Amino acid sequence: MTNIEKVFLKIGSIDRRWIFIIIALVVVVPLLVPIGLPIRATDTSKSVYDAVEALPKGSKVLLSIEYSPSTKPENHPMAISMMRHLFRNNHKVYVTCLWPDGQFMAQDALNQVAVGEFDKKYGEDYVLLGYRPGGEAVVKGIVSNIRKLFSVDARQTKVDDIPMMDEITNFKDFDFLFSASAGYPGTIEWVQYAADPTGVPMSSGVTSIQVNEVMPYVQSGQMVGVLAGMPGAAEYESLIGQKGSATSGMDAQSVAHLVIVLFIVLGNISYFIDRKRSRKY
Amino acid sequence: MFWKRQVPIFIVALIGSITLFGWFIDQPDVKEFIGDDATQWFDVLASFAIILGALNLIKLQIQKVLYQKPGWQYSVIAVLGFIFAIVAGFFVKGVDDSVAQWGAHVTSDGTLFKWMFDYVFSPMSATMFSLLAFFVASASYRAFRIRNFEATLLLVSGIIIMVGRVPIGGVISSWFIMYLIVLGLGIYVNSIKKDTKVTFVFVAVGVSLVTIGGIISDWPVDQPGIFYLPSIQEWIYYYPNVAGARAIMIGIGLGIFATSIRYILGIERSYIGE
Repeated sequence: MTNIEKVFLKIGSIDRRWIFIIIALVVVVPLLVPIGLPIRATDTSKSVYDAVEALPKGSKVLLSIEYSPSTKPENHPMAISMMRHLFRNNHKVYVTCLWPDGQFMAQDALNQVAVGEFDKKYGEDYVLLGYRPGGEAVVKGIVSNIRKLFSVDARQTKVDDIPMMDEITNFKDFDFLFSASAGYPGTIEWVQYAADPTGVPMSSGVTSIQVNEVMPYVQSGQMVGVLAGMPGAAEYESLIGQKGSATSGMDAQSVAHLVIVLFIVLGNISYFIDRKRSRKY
Repeated sequence: MFWKRQVPIFIVALIGSITLFGWFIDQPDVKEFIGDDATQWFDVLASFAIILGALNLIKLQIQKVLYQKPGWQYSVIAVLGFIFAIVAGFFVKGVDDSVAQWGAHVTSDGTLFKWMFDYVFSPMSATMFSLLAFFVASASYRAFRIRNFEATLLLVSGIIIMVGRVPIGGVISSWFIMYLIVLGLGIYVNSIKKDTKVTFVFVAVGVSLVTIGGIISDWPVDQPGIFYLPSIQEWIYYYPNVAGARAIMIGIGLGIFATSIRYILGIERSYIGE
């Protein structure tokens, strides 16, 4: 056995703690020292942008937040970028949450964008309806009669006293739906029970792991594009021309992915050497 | 027995039949029931289910502590956390009514509940999820092996997706990928022919063809598209992935339908403990 083979075999049996340290380094270093890799928007992200851009001024957009702090780095930049885009185009934003944690995420994003950046007025430009338990039943409830489901908003204000709710009775009264989703209940339930039966156009921002599940709906035209994971969020940031946390996270993700691929290649070389040696003896 | 067995089965069969067959009946009352009342019922039941779930959780954790089962120390923390959340949610707001009213205090800044979410729940939740990156790296290193044709397909498509999805994939020229493919094919040819000269000629011809093609077309990064990683990964997402996902979805749909029929006909009775 040559020295090179010995080295590869040694690499193949490396303690996994070394892998953890290397991954930590390749994630942290690009975050501290950004490389600034160019972001290229994919067709699915462009479709989402074009759909929002095509909405007439003052459109009523339902923004559903269904993610928790665990997937915040992926979903939150999408929600923030979408809010920026909607408020910049002077649309009215109605926020609902299918996840209990979603209400915190929604509140955080609204504080940052609606209040901090655009100085929008609560009840006239945006409203946080909040969380209701029930998953797809909530979606169906919004489709049939949103007022039965949400008698008060997240601030405990009666829905009848909120000016921008005057024109809203059910899901058909909205012009567009965007679901920022990390799983069940989420995007798929919105497609199956709301957007597809009513014909209201919808789009979504999902975690990378969910892209496989939602892609059939995108391809069939039941959804207008999709923001796929953190790369999708970074692409949307680049499309609206306002960089955020997703863009800065892409350098770290790029390098981490490359390093994982390198690990896989090294692991396979070690595997082949080991297999060749086993056959020999 | 009648109330515990026949009545629940009858209710499930009746409501199940109405909600399923109601889609095919053009009657306003039935439609309103399916679209409105049934979902309202579900919402009410779901709200009660949360209470039941919480009570069940606390019961199990307390039992674990009382009987000092393995890991009971963690249950102490779970119970304390539960009590703290109840106190912060229902009894101690942490701010005046002028800042946030009961109910709205859950997401209002400065309240005890929001503090708990921001400084306890969020960091722990994010920590648990981010640990995945380390385990994925370690597992990929050990499990992604070229053992057979299927494993090779999985490995190659996995690598293309991983690199093609991120910005660094966009700066890797399709010509570089072509050189890699020529070298990979060279290894394959060598393993079959076991002749250094044949392998050398194969690789030399391949490298020359790629180089000539590059010089003629001025080395565009994203051309030819079939060797450009972002384009390949989009194709994988759009076609092989969608085909597989649809097959799974149709299978799940048929499974749900079969299970629903079993519930309606009273064949499936696990919900009453049988």
